Amino acid sequence: MAPPVTPWWRNRRLIPWLVQAAVGLLVLVLVAFLVGNLVRNLAAAGLLLTWRWIGNPAGFDIAGSWLPFSAEQPYWWALLAGLVNTLRVVVIGLIGASIVGTAVGVASFSGNALLRGLARVYVELIRNIPLLLQLVFWYFVVFLALPGGANAIQWPGLVLAQSGLYLGMPELVNGVWQAPIRLSVEFAALLTGLIVYISAFISEVVRGGIASVPKGQWEAARSLGFTPLQTLRRVVLPQALPVIVPGLNNQYISLAKSSSLAIACGYADLYSVAETTLNQTGRAVEVMVILLGAYLAIDLVISALMNGRNLAVQLRSR
Amino acid sequence: MERPSALQRLRAALFASPLDGLITVVLLAALLAGGQALLHWLVFKAQWAVIQVNSTLFAVGRYPLDQQWRLWLLTTLLAGATGLSWGLLRALPRPDRRAVLWPTNDRLAVALLSGLGVLVPLVLQLSAAIALRWWLITALVLACRWLAGRWGAALPAIARRGWPLIWPLLYLLGMTLIAGGFGVPAVSPYRWGGLLLTLIEACFAILLCFPLGVLLALGRRSSLPLLRWLSVLYIEFIRGAPLITLLFLGQNILGLLLPGGFTPDRVWRAAWVLTFFAAAYVAEAVRSGLVALPPGQMEAARALGLPVYQAMLKVVLPQALRVALPAMVGQFINLLQDTTLLSLIGLFELLGTARAVMANPAFIGKDAEVYLVLAVLFWCCCAALGLGSRALETRLNTNPQPA
Amino acid sequence: MTDRDLMIEARGVEKWYPNGYHALRGVDLNVYRGEVVVIMGPSGSGKSTFIRTFNALEDFQGGEIVVDGMALSDDVRNIDAIRREVGMVFQQFNLFPHLTVLENLCLAPVLVRKREKAEVEREALELLERVNIREQAHKYPGQLSGGQQQRVAIARSLCMEPRVMLFDEPTSALDPEMVQEVLEVMQELAREGMTMVVVTHEVRFARQVASRVVLMAEGEVVEIAPPEQFFSAPQHERTKQFLSQIA
Repeated sequence: MAPPVTPWWRNRRLIPWLVQAAVGLLVLVLVAFLVGNLVRNLAAAGLLLTWRWIGNPAGFDIAGSWLPFSAEQPYWWALLAGLVNTLRVVVIGLIGASIVGTAVGVASFSGNALLRGLARVYVELIRNIPLLLQLVFWYFVVFLALPGGANAIQWPGLVLAQSGLYLGMPELVNGVWQAPIRLSVEFAALLTGLIVYISAFISEVVRGGIASVPKGQWEAARSLGFTPLQTLRRVVLPQALPVIVPGLNNQYISLAKSSSLAIACGYADLYSVAETTLNQTGRAVEVMVILLGAYLAIDLVISALMNGRNLAVQLRSR
Repeated sequence: MERPSALQRLRAALFASPLDGLITVVLLAALLAGGQALLHWLVFKAQWAVIQVNSTLFAVGRYPLDQQWRLWLLTTLLAGATGLSWGLLRALPRPDRRAVLWPTNDRLAVALLSGLGVLVPLVLQLSAAIALRWWLITALVLACRWLAGRWGAALPAIARRGWPLIWPLLYLLGMTLIAGGFGVPAVSPYRWGGLLLTLIEACFAILLCFPLGVLLALGRRSSLPLLRWLSVLYIEFIRGAPLITLLFLGQNILGLLLPGGFTPDRVWRAAWVLTFFAAAYVAEAVRSGLVALPPGQMEAARALGLPVYQAMLKVVLPQALRVALPAMVGQFINLLQDTTLLSLIGLFELLGTARAVMANPAFIGKDAEVYLVLAVLFWCCCAALGLGSRALETRLNTNPQPA
Repeated sequence: MTDRDLMIEARGVEKWYPNGYHALRGVDLNVYRGEVVVIMGPSGSGKSTFIRTFNALEDFQGGEIVVDGMALSDDVRNIDAIRREVGMVFQQFNLFPHLTVLENLCLAPVLVRKREKAEVEREALELLERVNIREQAHKYPGQLSGGQQQRVAIARSLCMEPRVMLFDEPTSALDPEMVQEVLEVMQELAREGMTMVVVTHEVRFARQVASRVVLMAEGEVVEIAPPEQFFSAPQHERTKQFLSQIA
């Protein structure tokens, strides 16, 4: 007797295709609906997609820009200046957060109970307070409250004043500080806030990595006469790295994205410049594309660098 | 060998080597100096008037005064439900464990809660009427907890299993009370602010991002290429974008995507963006849970004759979610913190209200006081969520306990 | 042996893995009611793959499989129906760690056969009694030893009242001292008349319990014989070779 014919909707070979066809159709309909509305609404407002506006003069200024900038420069130059500002804070922030985060992560394994406790308190405190709140705290309560002029905080080689941070050989000229390197308080506040916040998470990544190295490694190194610091540097950290690198990658990307909160510190990063641009030109879609594309590119570069490093670490461990 | 005395243990912990000793001394000096400066500021220089005068603004924004009884009603219901849930959790131990009804850490939590409940109105110098309500509500939580703990085991099985449904019901009731509808006069979202708005945004996003995240995680692991690619596309797109740009996108572009420029209120636009944002991260957490599952689980379930959706619901997801729980709660905590970003797009949740308050000439320069209070508030909420998550983990962990 | 007693009929089963490897090369096997068929063979011979085709855990590209009169087809409903009647015990037990032992047993009968929970629980407790772990009913699998877990797995399959039980190397993942307790349960099951197909390396079990022993190698059935003949007077060279390797 021939087996009964399987109805198509119960046929397990056909079901995957039916499901995909249904989902695909749904998505297509949704996208068509949204895009259709978008085009219609844009046309009605006279804002159909174009890039010609990007050469128009910006009409606003960017404080603290590395690239030379003034109001007649075109929009694309403004966005570029914003991007450069973002990259400045991200690169220095990554380095700073890594150093502080590693230090705190290692401190949580210290033999000194006070040091361990402080590391724990630091992490638990920082992690549970929103980043934006910390940033406005650093900007408004700490950096903007710095005394100015002759009352500024003066350390060897570094002056902290309300007008900015001065590195190098700072000297007071007619009541105004001057130095080879000057950082605005906006930049300083953003940098400090980002470094403090992300370092707490990096310390957890480092801690997890070190904890993943078997206890026997520590004991073996001790019995060979290594000091704890030497053990850390030569035995434990190299083994902890493959575990640390992916987590570190995530935190670096997180820092890059969190830099977009610069607007709260009055720092002109890519997002803040883009926001101003959008408010002035009304070119929502184009500006969004630029913004999202730029941050995606930064993430991809960070991931590529970290994965390359990961590869190198793994190759070496063979 | 006798146990080292307290003094010896202290010495070993803090002064084991000359370097350790030096570190201890330096840290202690720094802590004392900093602590003294902080205390001096707190007691002498800080002016808390900015909080007291604006406490209603911080709590509920510009919610009409004559309708605020609805919020008190909601808070009371939530307090009761929390107390009862807490008590029930303690009254119904797991079948394989013989549990003490009120263990030490539970009593500690009660002590902490009572302490906070009594102190907060006094520290913030709230008016007598509000302080009274606050104390009554704290007492309600503790009373319900005791009641449910004492008599929870006697409840019929149906009540016990159906109990978690109270939360979605309360959510719906809460939204009706807050926003209006069903005969209750409407209060426009424009008037919601402060802690009320923060909690509304966070709860909405947390509740909705969870099922969406689970669907995305399942899609990501699916053997059907289209589902997998759609999920990957969505997740990677969201993960590559800073939240502020997505919020900005929601504010500016959503109107363009809908017919006739119909734009939902700013509050809901932000809430949906937060939901879609968090869903991608929750998806990654759930995915790690799914990956951790032994492959034989699905097979065994199917071999028993369970259809796919039953196998998913009863076997795969419960296990995956247990593994993913810490990471998921981490995302919820992030979500609560991310509500502060709404202040950058013009919504007056806690941080936005704070910035608005400090723009008032009467309160210029009081940033430190306000930010400190906000920091303490957020810290308490996030720490509480973290503790709750750890308690839940312990309850759900079916791995053998070390002897 | 009438056709009504034919529990599993496999004819010309062919299977290729996606990478092109020919795992099953035209395998034929008949399993009759009440029989205990033991399948042995070197690793990679396809024995596990073969029995997993009976309940559609592995699909196959050629041939036919009929389980108790139900032909295995692409119909989802048909596959579910077959899986209800075919019990399977895995090498790695595959108990559900988030459910108690009792819940593990009751899950499928309640959800799939739509039976009353109280009644199923009673039967489940009796089953646990039969495999000697009644007192572990409210423990979680993680708290049991390997041998106990496997016995729970057997009880879990039995709770669905299957007509055929498949065993995929049930004792291979167990510590030696626990192998015997599981084999005893399987022996008892055979004595009660359950139709069983067992993939195993346990020669003593095969000698004592099997109705027929099958040797599979390189995806093909080499020899089928009652245990006395299989172990003492094997017909094929390949069988002799295999036996000498496991002696």
